[in-house]
Amino acid sequence: MPPQITRRTALAAGAATLALPAVLRAQPATVKIGMIHPVTGPLAFGGSQCRLGGQTAVADLNAAGGIRSLGGAKVEAVPGDAQGKAEIASSLVDQMAEQKVAGITGCYASNLALAATQTAAKYNIPFSIDSGIADSITARGLPNVFRFFPNNTTMTNEAIACLDALNKGAGSPAKTAVIVHENSEFGTTTAKLLSAKLGGIGITVKEAIAHATPTRDFTNVVLRIKEAAPDLVLITDYPNEYQLLLRTLYQQKVNLVAAFSVSGGGFNLPFAKDQPQASAFMIDYNHWYNPHDPRALEFRKRIEGAGHVFGWEVLFGYFAVRVLADAIERAGSTDPAKVNAAFAASTFHDDWLPYGPTKFVGGQNQGARGLGLQIQDADIKTIWPAEFADAKAVFPRPKAS
Amino acid sequence: MTRGLWIALATLALLPFASHSQFVANLAMLTAISAALGQAWNIAGGFGGLTSFGHVAFFGLGAYADAILQTRYGFTPWLGLPAAALLGGGVGWLMGLATFRAGLRGSYFALVTLAFAEAFRILANSIGITGGGSGILVKLHTSAGNFQFADRRAGYAAALALLALATFAARRLAVGRFGAYLMAVRENEDAARALGVRAVRVKSAALALSGALTALGGVLYVQSYLYIDPPTAFSVERSVEMLLVAMIGGAGTVAGPLLGALAVHAIADTTRSLVATPGVAPMLYGVVLLLIIGFLPGGIARFVTRPAHA
Repeated sequence: MPPQITRRTALAAGAATLALPAVLRAQPATVKIGMIHPVTGPLAFGGSQCRLGGQTAVADLNAAGGIRSLGGAKVEAVPGDAQGKAEIASSLVDQMAEQKVAGITGCYASNLALAATQTAAKYNIPFSIDSGIADSITARGLPNVFRFFPNNTTMTNEAIACLDALNKGAGSPAKTAVIVHENSEFGTTTAKLLSAKLGGIGITVKEAIAHATPTRDFTNVVLRIKEAAPDLVLITDYPNEYQLLLRTLYQQKVNLVAAFSVSGGGFNLPFAKDQPQASAFMIDYNHWYNPHDPRALEFRKRIEGAGHVFGWEVLFGYFAVRVLADAIERAGSTDPAKVNAAFAASTFHDDWLPYGPTKFVGGQNQGARGLGLQIQDADIKTIWPAEFADAKAVFPRPKAS
Repeated sequence: MTRGLWIALATLALLPFASHSQFVANLAMLTAISAALGQAWNIAGGFGGLTSFGHVAFFGLGAYADAILQTRYGFTPWLGLPAAALLGGGVGWLMGLATFRAGLRGSYFALVTLAFAEAFRILANSIGITGGGSGILVKLHTSAGNFQFADRRAGYAAALALLALATFAARRLAVGRFGAYLMAVRENEDAARALGVRAVRVKSAALALSGALTALGGVLYVQSYLYIDPPTAFSVERSVEMLLVAMIGGAGTVAGPLLGALAVHAIADTTRSLVATPGVAPMLYGVVLLLIIGFLPGGIARFVTRPAHA
């Protein structure tokens, strides 16, 4: 006999139906985070690494229960490919504003970030900078722009301190240098800062050689270096040029006390593993994790275990999202003004970077810093400062054979 | 020129004003700037046969003139418009005199223009007033007096104004005496000279007009994105886009660059929004462009109208 529909059953069913929209309304809205990076074109590797980091952070946030102050709202990544063009980065901000993102992270390259943040400022959208290190990104005073990571001035000042400590620790064998840099904002600014400061630590700059990105033949550059015969070669380049230059230096058997870079785009694990001779003993002052924190080692293992390359750009993408999500969490809202206020007051410290508690002044995290790194035995080791070191520096490097 | 085509283009141009989407307005603005630059290239390259591979030189000069005047000397950005036009026109005139008096034509002229653009890029990278490789950042301060608009639709209106100006110039060339001289020189320079056309002056004037209009495009770019650096100002890619827009639409026709810019941007933006996998969108874009070039060698405009010079 089929079940009878009683009046009570009908009322219960009706009540349940009426309540359904309320249940649906109770589901917290998704919190969208825009991610603007160049994932095609000459900057594709770094951009893709940043995106990987950002997407990993989103997965971690959702696994940990989403944004709790918004009822456990899930975080949704909204990725965009800037293709290395400022106007496309800017256009993506417009698009993401219409998709009602709660914040944006990006853009790997400073010139993209400069254009994108100006556009985001028109909407007051919180913008968490990942890899753009130009001081001007935060120095313009835009109230919606925050950088958790160090800027160019901090990186260069500390790189000089690192180089000075290594040199003096070895009895000051390095007295002269040649600077090789790519000729856009990133390389030019860094080269200028380096040139101004090297004299202060007793190192004379013999020459500064600028080149375009892309450049595929460094023979002439290396011949000029050989002619100048410096003790040091200082490099500021994006990945391909960085590695090609080092390979040419190795092929031409250029004898140096050290090759040193600041934020070297090509200083990464695949280079160390694939070209162990060309990359050996390269020193870079760059962004890296605290090697004494087990969470950092576990994170690296996890990224590599998933078949990805682990580079510092992954950390950029990861923490740019985490620190933004922390601001949204504390704001308890996706209202841009509230998130910006929470961002500015951030004391975020749930990280495994060598930063300490976060403190933003004019959008720049004051505790952010890099570390002195060296490629040894086809791996990246931390060599400076001593409190974070997990290996001893090889300085000067062995003679080229 | 068919009236229906122009009515359709004008209607299409007005559509973004009906939308409240800043993203749509920005896409429309980029398309209009691209069409205006393509039309500027078309004046020299299409009507005059002066195939330039380095037209971005004028774009970059205009952009830097505008950025330098306001950030270094405190002038209103509106002054950037006449200053850029004068600079672009002057450099075009001088470039024309130098190359045409030396008898350079065809691929030699194309290579010289490429060299000019590269020389300007290196110069912009090397001297202090351009900010070197760091470029120039224009302070965000949206107001009509500052030629910065919070609403992208206002920027789009400015781009449309430039496009209208460039199209008006192209139209005058298509029906006027100067244009007839220019096209006569393009078809047979020796014959034109024999008929009394002063070829060097005519070609230089066309390059000057084209340079002035292209430089105005540089001003619009700076005022829209508030940042300029040497790779952006003098990229070969932008030169190629100007050429591509005119060629795909139909070089030497008035409507060609408009149709070309619509096609190029529609394909680029559609592939980008439809395909998320990195690299696939640019590849599809290339394939579609190849198909258009393969099947429509005379450009899209030749399907809907006769060539202006016919």
